[in-house]
Amino acid sequence: MAGYNMMRCGEFRTTYEKDTTIFPTPMSKKFAILGVLLCVIAPLQIGEFSFVSDTLLTLMIQIGYLSIGALGLNILVGFTGQISLGHAAFFGFGAFASAWMNNDFSIPVFFSIPLAGVLTMAVGMIFGMPAARIKGLYLAIATLASQFILEDFFARADWFTGGAAGALANPFEIFGFAISGDRSYYYVVLVYMIAMYILAANLMRSRDGRAFIAVRDHYLSAEVMGINLTWYRVLSFGISSFYAGIAGALFAHYLQYVSVESFNLLLSIQFIGMIIIGGLGSVMGSLMGTVFMVLLPEIMQEAASIITSTSWGNIPAITEGINFMKEMVIGAAIVLFLIFEPDGLAHRWRMIKAYWKLYPFSY
Amino acid sequence: MRKLLSGLLATTTAVAFAGSALAADKVLIANLADLTGPTASVSKPFTKGKEDAAAYINANGGIAGMQVDLDTVDYAYAAPRAIAQYKKWKSEGVAVIQGWGTADTEALVGFVSRDKIPYYSASYSAHLQDPKAKSEHTKKAAPYNFFAGPSYSDGARAVIQWAAADAKEKGIAKPKFVYMGDNHPYPNAAKKAAKGYAEDLGFEVGTDIVYSMKAGDFKAQCLSLKESGAQYAYLANTGGSGISLLKSCDAVGADVQFLTNVWGMDENVMKAAGKSADGVVFPMGAAAFGADVPGMELVKKINAAGSNQEHHAVHYMRGVCSFYYMKEAMEWAAVNGGITGENIKKGMYQKKDWVPAGLEGVCPAGTWTEDDHRGHMDVYVYQANVKEDAAANATVPELLKAGTIGMTKLFDAKLERKPEWLGL
Repeated sequence: MAGYNMMRCGEFRTTYEKDTTIFPTPMSKKFAILGVLLCVIAPLQIGEFSFVSDTLLTLMIQIGYLSIGALGLNILVGFTGQISLGHAAFFGFGAFASAWMNNDFSIPVFFSIPLAGVLTMAVGMIFGMPAARIKGLYLAIATLASQFILEDFFARADWFTGGAAGALANPFEIFGFAISGDRSYYYVVLVYMIAMYILAANLMRSRDGRAFIAVRDHYLSAEVMGINLTWYRVLSFGISSFYAGIAGALFAHYLQYVSVESFNLLLSIQFIGMIIIGGLGSVMGSLMGTVFMVLLPEIMQEAASIITSTSWGNIPAITEGINFMKEMVIGAAIVLFLIFEPDGLAHRWRMIKAYWKLYPFSY
Repeated sequence: MRKLLSGLLATTTAVAFAGSALAADKVLIANLADLTGPTASVSKPFTKGKEDAAAYINANGGIAGMQVDLDTVDYAYAAPRAIAQYKKWKSEGVAVIQGWGTADTEALVGFVSRDKIPYYSASYSAHLQDPKAKSEHTKKAAPYNFFAGPSYSDGARAVIQWAAADAKEKGIAKPKFVYMGDNHPYPNAAKKAAKGYAEDLGFEVGTDIVYSMKAGDFKAQCLSLKESGAQYAYLANTGGSGISLLKSCDAVGADVQFLTNVWGMDENVMKAAGKSADGVVFPMGAAAFGADVPGMELVKKINAAGSNQEHHAVHYMRGVCSFYYMKEAMEWAAVNGGITGENIKKGMYQKKDWVPAGLEGVCPAGTWTEDDHRGHMDVYVYQANVKEDAAANATVPELLKAGTIGMTKLFDAKLERKPEWLGL
């Protein structure tokens, strides 16, 4: 597992400042700022002209909230070395909690989103308790149970979720000004996303972050060094759920409707897929993996519609089978990724950077 | 003055251009379908009906001269995907939506009334029939929701009426009724109405039995049904899971008279469930394919213009009816101020007891008013007849021809338009 916390040979840090910097080079800092700026101007509309279409914008919003959830799972799996098959349930809990606080207690959405994160964190810590005693496959099954327990709770707790019929969520509001429309909501998601990513990057430079990594790399040594394993494992579940809760709340107020159906095991697996494809133990990898997982079905959909629009492709066997083929190709892409790029997109990105750093004399 | 004149000229040219652009344009009609989810078995024929109707309309001059651009999207019965799709359609300027499931339609009620987009659902939930939220059972006013056919609640009341008469005939003093379905907005839609009405008619109402909408082994549910001692059980899921339930109950020997809703029984269910489906009583929202009614001429032409199949399941006709009610309302709107959501809605209120032109006898006559979207109060109650288990390779038209499967009409239930039933 090539986490970015692993030092390459020949890399010496002579000051504390250098050791704790977020951006290793001034260039990477400039790139990050440029990236954020591009994200800021992307949804702008000048008259009839707009940089991104409505459809692309919805995908960007989707990437925004899902990548927050994926980052949360990466903190748990990639950095702390635990496993969770119930991440979607926490994502859902955040969504329902925010809608519930806003609908039943008239807490403005502006506040209900972070509150939903805190509430989900508490729930996540409770469900993370088994991690104190068990690990590996057993922990996977224990977290799978949390997925089913919460899903069942969502379907039955009418007071909290509206039961099987689901709950409506109000649009985002800031001091009486309703933010309606995807182009404005995009900024809400963007602000949260940047904040959560900086938070995670900073967390990993802190005492707690280093403790997470120590627990992952060798829990026995970590314990010998005085790290409280139980506390850090449960804390990791809590932080991971906090991220999931925020992501879920953003999703709820974006779609303005929350239903138990959105938060099934498949979404949990997709979250795991995102961080594996992106790169375990990499903050940026969580984003890359999410981009990949969100765009892949869209690209497949486009390919499918191109095939069905041709004369040879417009036959019942293809038009009716294409939906299934699409799903299969997505599955195949994930399998191929695991075989040929087990360290994820983040690793590939590092290779590309290294190639250009040494260009034209790469070895 | 010159300024005014040139301004006027500019406006008229703009209007003229806009008009010509509109006339040459297509009208985008959204079509939500479940082709891969748990209700796919009944959504497929329904969707075919709408697609064929669009193909026929396009070949014959379109709607008010505009070609129909029908955008069919599969959402696999996942309500959140439907909402996301709705947002996409809205940004593309959709005129009207042909929807599907109860969960998504009910979740979209607020959206479509805010955006004024008429929504013709395949969900016949009674919650969608109350345009002004007058009823205590309605959470949200649904002024832009329409559907053609009796509601799930009215359908259930009709088959329960039959069950009450049947129990009397058989001399059962205190018949027992059980409501069965998944915990999902669609099977739940008629629960309150059905159980309440059954109680009113003197049934003892047992504990609900939950069975999944995804077909599986339902022997456990059938055993609890058997133990409950009920003589009548209402199946609130669609045909897909109904097949396995009927078969499972046959296997455990639960001797119960099954009643079901409009999506619970069709030719394919009879073929797949075989003898287990014999005797199931169900409501119909339109005539069966090939029935001897004047409107069948048009249905045959619609079939020829589109999928051109030998036979279609009963849901196909309801798809055609849903599309044609919408078409006529849009035509009215086109000559009365243009095709806007508000005008299409008004178009639905223009006539009383109306049937779309050419579909007489296929679609039942319906009346929609500004205060009451209960279009149809008459329910045709049918019974499935299956002589023997069908051979696996036999096709539905062959089985129908051979008389292996078929359906007989029991009676026409004429339900009262009770104000307290609105939205229930």
